[in-house]
Amino acid sequence: MAHNFRTDLAIDWCPGCGDFGILTSMIQALGEMNYGPQDAVVISGIGCSGKTPHYVNLAGAHTLHGRGIPFATGVKLANPKLKVLVTGGDGDLLSIGAGHFVAEGRRNTGLTIILFDNEVYGLTKGQASPTMPLGMQTKSLSKPNVYNRVNPVAMALAAGYSFVARGFSFDTKQLKEIIKRGLMNDGSSLIDVLQPCPTYNNINTMEFYRQRVYKLEDDKSWDPIITESTKDPMEKYKLANSKALEWDEKIPTGIFMENRTIPSFTRRLNEYIPNYLTSPPATQAISDSKGYTIVDPVRTFADKIV
Amino acid sequence: MTKLDVNVIIGGPQGGGIDTSANLMSRAFAFSGFDIFSTREFHSNIKGRHSYVHIRARDTKVQGLKYPPDILVALDPDTIFEHFEDIGKGTKVIYDSSFATSELSQARMIMRDTASRIKSVLDENKLENNVNGMLEYMKSHGGILFPIPFEEIVRKAVDDGVPNRYYNTLGAAITLSIIGIELESTKEAIKHIFGGKEKVIAPNLKVVDEAYKYAQDNKLAGESAGKNAKLSQFLLTGNDGAAIGKLMGGLRFQTYYPITPASDESSILEEHEAVKWLSGEAETLGSGGVTIVQTEDEISAVVMAAGAAMTGTRSATATSGPGFSLMAEGISFAGMDEIPLVITLYQRGGPSTGLPTRNGQSDLLFALNTGHGEFPRIVLSSGDVRECIYDSIKALNYAQRYQLPVLHLIDKNLANTTELVDGIDVKKEKIYGRNEPDGNGIYKRYSLDTKDGVSAMGSYGKNIFWLTGDEHDELGHVTEDTVMREAQMEKRFRKVKVAAAEIPVEEKAVIYGDKNAKITIVTWGSQKGPAIEAAEILSKQGINCRILYLRMFMPFPSEFVEKELRAGQTNIIVESNMLGQAAQVIRMNTGVDISNRILKYNGRHVTVDELVDGVKRIVQGKEKEVVLKNGA
Repeated sequence: MAHNFRTDLAIDWCPGCGDFGILTSMIQALGEMNYGPQDAVVISGIGCSGKTPHYVNLAGAHTLHGRGIPFATGVKLANPKLKVLVTGGDGDLLSIGAGHFVAEGRRNTGLTIILFDNEVYGLTKGQASPTMPLGMQTKSLSKPNVYNRVNPVAMALAAGYSFVARGFSFDTKQLKEIIKRGLMNDGSSLIDVLQPCPTYNNINTMEFYRQRVYKLEDDKSWDPIITESTKDPMEKYKLANSKALEWDEKIPTGIFMENRTIPSFTRRLNEYIPNYLTSPPATQAISDSKGYTIVDPVRTFADKIV
Repeated sequence: MTKLDVNVIIGGPQGGGIDTSANLMSRAFAFSGFDIFSTREFHSNIKGRHSYVHIRARDTKVQGLKYPPDILVALDPDTIFEHFEDIGKGTKVIYDSSFATSELSQARMIMRDTASRIKSVLDENKLENNVNGMLEYMKSHGGILFPIPFEEIVRKAVDDGVPNRYYNTLGAAITLSIIGIELESTKEAIKHIFGGKEKVIAPNLKVVDEAYKYAQDNKLAGESAGKNAKLSQFLLTGNDGAAIGKLMGGLRFQTYYPITPASDESSILEEHEAVKWLSGEAETLGSGGVTIVQTEDEISAVVMAAGAAMTGTRSATATSGPGFSLMAEGISFAGMDEIPLVITLYQRGGPSTGLPTRNGQSDLLFALNTGHGEFPRIVLSSGDVRECIYDSIKALNYAQRYQLPVLHLIDKNLANTTELVDGIDVKKEKIYGRNEPDGNGIYKRYSLDTKDGVSAMGSYGKNIFWLTGDEHDELGHVTEDTVMREAQMEKRFRKVKVAAAEIPVEEKAVIYGDKNAKITIVTWGSQKGPAIEAAEILSKQGINCRILYLRMFMPFPSEFVEKELRAGQTNIIVESNMLGQAAQVIRMNTGVDISNRILKYNGRHVTVDELVDGVKRIVQGKEKEVVLKNGA
């Protein structure tokens, strides 16, 4: 019988929250990927998005604000066989966790990162988040936003993520497919999800997005995949970047770039650490049947002997 | 067995080959069958500023450094200036004779404050502001000068455009010859340190030959110190010891962000990532290597190690003060979520960036209180290289047994101390097994059905469970229920009581010396060795004292420490900080106030002699608090 990926916990997101669509897409993607209960884990930081692991019937961790990525990286590097999903908000991943967001692009560990992008800090009552534009004033703000916005898709492309996409939480069919593609990517995937906050963001509503979003894949010539045989990868990268900068009137969703030529961090480690992928840290024996160490300090540290 | 006990300070510019000199000397001593102990002092600088190694060789076990040194070797003029206070009666000063007229004003790499102190001394004594002036000053304080024509000797040995590339070998070789170390041992040492690089070995051997010949011809060579039986031994720093212990203790994943003096440990592990297994059963079990990850910051380092731990991997990180400050939130998280995690904390002089390359023991109270909220932890400390090895294994075991963060304290001085370790016992510590849950479905990670507060620990990839930094129920889901909150708090803290009862007292505190002595010197960390030797010296001089050496601060051996401190008459605390932090911990746990304090906070290592002097000043009733000042 297929694994039931939903837990029986009461979900305490606000009615009408975009998070529900993300959860549904995730659960459908996990089911369609035919994962077993031991195949994947869901890791989060803090905030409304941080509650997601509790709603998914897989091992999970609801860690610290901004720290979903480093925790997930530790899980993936110690046991590379696991599929590791990260759910985080825009404040979580792009403000307090921004350093990790950029570093993860450089690593390309193999995480599937789902960014719950609603332009506000919901759980602390609607402060402006890093994706809110300069001068915008939602009903929860006492004055217009004095920060400018950061573009998560452009930032992910610049940081080096090998898969960069955007979904819309009210289009679960497209989002589910994007998540599946992200899970299949060997390196790290960043999926920015436009996710209206019905309580604190009265500007970027479901209607706001419905009027603006369009799908990159609707253009039949759109091919975001870069492989070793791609003739001009730089041209594709440039195109992805120019699409990433589109906003205001028209907002593209879909896959901006999938670069299969960037090796994942686990493959990079496998180049140097003996049998890393076949005997990763989590599956190694550390003691013999009597409980003693199996490491030979004399032969391992022969260079320290005089 | 021939007699030898010699202390050498060899100094030169950072990046100028001081490490090679020190390595050459320590190996030559070791190949002659002598024990060695050394520490390294350096600036936060890549090239140019003054750096030195203080090394002691002895025919019997050595565990501390004597001061002033018997020999000062200067590879540059700065060394003569910087060590102006380090001359005792009979200290031999070996230096390049071409330095004589080097001006103090030209020694731009000397810190301005130090230079102005040097200038005042020269001016007060109406001496020239150059090396000659300082050498006169040293002579007047008992120094014996050994001017050596460095360039001339090197040119005899090698026809090389840049003779000063061999000055480090020459300085060390001349010194070894003066001490009476046999030429063969020194040559063997050259071959060992430049292992396999024939092009480097050949000219260096020639320089050694010429150095010994020069010493012989000029009647500088010492009487042969002889040679003892050589053992196959490890020559290890505290950093090395911790790396070896962690690997033996089952560590397979370590994270770090570069910081002095902690990152050497991670670099050493990374250099040995291809682990070799013991023969027999071990060989059939061993596979893979150890994964070391350099992270984007220390916040990531601690959290990433926590993530790896949840896959069932023994995980750790290593850092120093500033990085440890960043880890505070992650440590609180590991405490809340009962994650087995070892953090090796290399203490250096604080606060803030402080003295980044100098010694300090000012993070003890912080380590005991890092992180918000109340959660259990274990805090242990090492005092010599052997302890760094076995304590690192213990730390990983404690983390697994009690499922909590373990903070292992090592100070900068110990991190950079080099000792000979004769063999490592692979059967000294057993590896504590993980108590895994039955089956592989959903299970209660934080089950309250536990006597000792420890619940079965499942792993990602096998079991389904949750963890959250929020207070949680048995499955690991968020709760704010009053009764569950109390139950989980009480469960976590039950582990502290169990740890306090299970961990034997000798792993927490040890008495060295005459058990019945009325004077007790209380100390921890790298003062261990110097304090033990100081007590021996004092006892011979009629001041009978003993050492109460602290190894664990949480859980604290309150009963034992209180009994011992109330048994004696005079208690003296010795620490490398300003507040007497261990004394505060003792008072907090036992109510015993130690009012006699010997403290050092200039960032340099404690020497045996200043400790002997400090204890005398206190015992003779002259002072209650002595601040130690040795070190350049």
